[in-house]
Amino acid sequence: MMNYIAGRRMASIRKRGSGRGFDNSMLKYCVKRLASSIITLLIIITVVFVLLRQMPIEGYFDNFEKADQATINAKLEQLGLNDPIPVQLFNFLKNLLKGDLGTSARYSVGAPIAQIIAKKAPVSIKLGVLSMALALIMGIPLGAAMARGKGRFWDKFGTVFIVFINAVPAAVYHIFIQMYGTSFLGISMLFDEANLVTWILPVFSMALGNTAYYAMWLRRYMVDEMNKDYVRLARAKGVDSRKIMMRHVFRNAFVPMIQYIPTSLLYTVSGSIYIESLYSIPGMGGLLVDVIGRQDNPMVQAIVIMYSCIGIVGLLLGDLLMGMIDPRISFVKKEGAR
Amino acid sequence: MASFKDIKSRKLEAAASAQIQKELDAVNEDELFVLAEYDETAAEKTGYSNYSYWRSTLQVFFKNRTAVFLLFVLAALLIFTVIQPYLPGQYPANLINNNPQTGKQLSNLAPSLTTVLVTAPEGTALTAEPVKNAEGWYSVTNVVDSLKARTKFDIVEYGEEWCRVEYKDVTGYVKNNFQTKLKLPEDPTAVPYESRSNFKLDIFSTPEDYTNNGTALYVPEQLLTIGEDGTAVTNAEAELRILPSENAFWFGTNNIGQDLWARVWSGTRTSLMIGFIVAIVEAIIGITVGVLWGYVRKLDRILTEVYNVIDNIPNTIILILISYILKPGLRTLIFAMCLTGWLGMARFIRNQIVIIRDRDYNLASRCLGTTTPRIIVKNLLPYLVSVIMLRMALSIPGAIGSEVFITYIGLGLPVDIPSLGNLINEGRKLITSEALRYQLIFPAIVLSIVTISFYIIGNAFADAADPKNHV
Repeated sequence: MMNYIAGRRMASIRKRGSGRGFDNSMLKYCVKRLASSIITLLIIITVVFVLLRQMPIEGYFDNFEKADQATINAKLEQLGLNDPIPVQLFNFLKNLLKGDLGTSARYSVGAPIAQIIAKKAPVSIKLGVLSMALALIMGIPLGAAMARGKGRFWDKFGTVFIVFINAVPAAVYHIFIQMYGTSFLGISMLFDEANLVTWILPVFSMALGNTAYYAMWLRRYMVDEMNKDYVRLARAKGVDSRKIMMRHVFRNAFVPMIQYIPTSLLYTVSGSIYIESLYSIPGMGGLLVDVIGRQDNPMVQAIVIMYSCIGIVGLLLGDLLMGMIDPRISFVKKEGAR
Repeated sequence: MASFKDIKSRKLEAAASAQIQKELDAVNEDELFVLAEYDETAAEKTGYSNYSYWRSTLQVFFKNRTAVFLLFVLAALLIFTVIQPYLPGQYPANLINNNPQTGKQLSNLAPSLTTVLVTAPEGTALTAEPVKNAEGWYSVTNVVDSLKARTKFDIVEYGEEWCRVEYKDVTGYVKNNFQTKLKLPEDPTAVPYESRSNFKLDIFSTPEDYTNNGTALYVPEQLLTIGEDGTAVTNAEAELRILPSENAFWFGTNNIGQDLWARVWSGTRTSLMIGFIVAIVEAIIGITVGVLWGYVRKLDRILTEVYNVIDNIPNTIILILISYILKPGLRTLIFAMCLTGWLGMARFIRNQIVIIRDRDYNLASRCLGTTTPRIIVKNLLPYLVSVIMLRMALSIPGAIGSEVFITYIGLGLPVDIPSLGNLINEGRKLITSEALRYQLIFPAIVLSIVTISFYIIGNAFADAADPKNHV
């Protein structure tokens, strides 16, 4: 979601007394961070599980209207839905450790969800990785160009682009890209995995949000960096401005960008929900929309939990990566709510 | 025995106190405690300036031309959405408009500013028939007869576009083009000859087509001189309309004949209402939690942990989950959005409060015995007004966007509550047909204007409220 960025976490940056590398405090931090992630995950699973038990039981049957009371009861018993919720939750967690997410009720009757997801996930992952790469390729030069020519064409263009992408709901411009892009490229509106041309638009649309995001932050950091004394000194010494930009400003400004990796991952995840159902891409996002439409409770539960996992893992990776790359970050003391 | 010095000092003292007593009696005690009047020169001596935070903020804000322009656009739009249903000639948003004569839905009418199709000169002879469901309107046409496919008739005069024909006792004109496919001899100008058409054919009384692709047109009563047996002559230049109404469907109609213009504005109303409610609820919950979180030290740890848990779940997932579990509708949607939105606000308020809560003026206030609620309301919150307003301004487009997203994945509002989300979603289903794209484009444009305006105004205001930018 767009409003997700506003006030997104900033790892607390503090000066560290000793300049040691991967030391005890870091290890401690990693373990603590991992533990908190696992606890969060457990809480999320519990909440999702309990909430979905409140749904009407139709979502567990492929032909509820025609079934009689006895079959319904038998099915409920077989699925373990008559047990108290804590028991059900425990069973679910136990199965989860074995990689068993349950079976689909309506979408593909009786098929193990883990298998369905395993079949759908590769396309989503490919799309996600490609779009994140494309976002870097487009966003970083754009941000750098904006910072270099402050107030000139690229800055203005970038500003308009960022405002547009941030303000207008993604669903709207995705539809327009599909509508005009497909007729421009002369292809059909639907995705075809074998036809590489049909990959262009979905990947491009998915990358747009992150592109704007990277460009916005990189520009901000670079402008901050450009106002620092050492840059002024370098300029006074007569160092080539391009050199200053590449060697000093860009490098220093790029480091804090790492902390936006988890956010961009979340962007990509929610973007995939739109894009995949728009272009009928056989991936996870499209699957989620599909099973919501068919009210397939076990599938919704499994996919929602999957997505939460991706989010949590993303945040975890971002935090750890940030710690490894920038030694100025303290692992000992976290200030407040990050 | 008192010395002379003592006697002298006692005397002086008595005299002095008598003097003071006299002067004191003359002064009215109330006058001593009257506020001094504001004196500009005196004020300048101590470095007073009449700097006002809000005035300065507004001054900076009004320098940003784009933001001011968008502010006017947004204000105009807001006012218009409110008064639109009360304007004359508006169709209700959920009314399914039917053709009164045929009873069929006026579906997928293209956007048009007028209902006039053609203008007939004065004295045009037409067949007229009063329209049942529209008082004062006549449905007119100049079709005198219709021929079935493969009926034989005589062409008595040949023309490139119109042919004069005779069929039984009727004389009139038929169109001669690639659609009518008249069967013509080798030399069509050698008249009369017998011909026929492969399709149904209308015979017009004049070589003009006063029909809307074969269906009747509508004229108000006063433009016609009604004759006997269903004939009428126009008594002035008459505009023939496709509807028995002067109110056109400016944005066209959707596939069941609802007026898109009314629906777009009604949808804007719904979406803005969702946006405002969500923003206000977010502000209330966010400020309350944020203040508690920041000010009450005992709560800090636990609230931080709660925040970390909720913040780890993608917002989208919470939105989807809540909308999936509860019954779809306005309340569910607002509830789901409020459930996630306050987090950011609370965190922001908390961080600010942690920074300023132990500043000297607050310590002083606390030492003087000011109660905590008073410190919060009087000392802390005024500092945060600008950031709170910024976050509220940004959460409105956010909420509108979330509504579009939720509708898009099929968990949004039912179609009988028009919102920009479900209008766009309905329009999206039609993008394969180029002629029907207006059903997507109109709501998308309005939505973009609203969200971009809020975004830019909110950011411009935040910049203006930042004291660094003040003069």
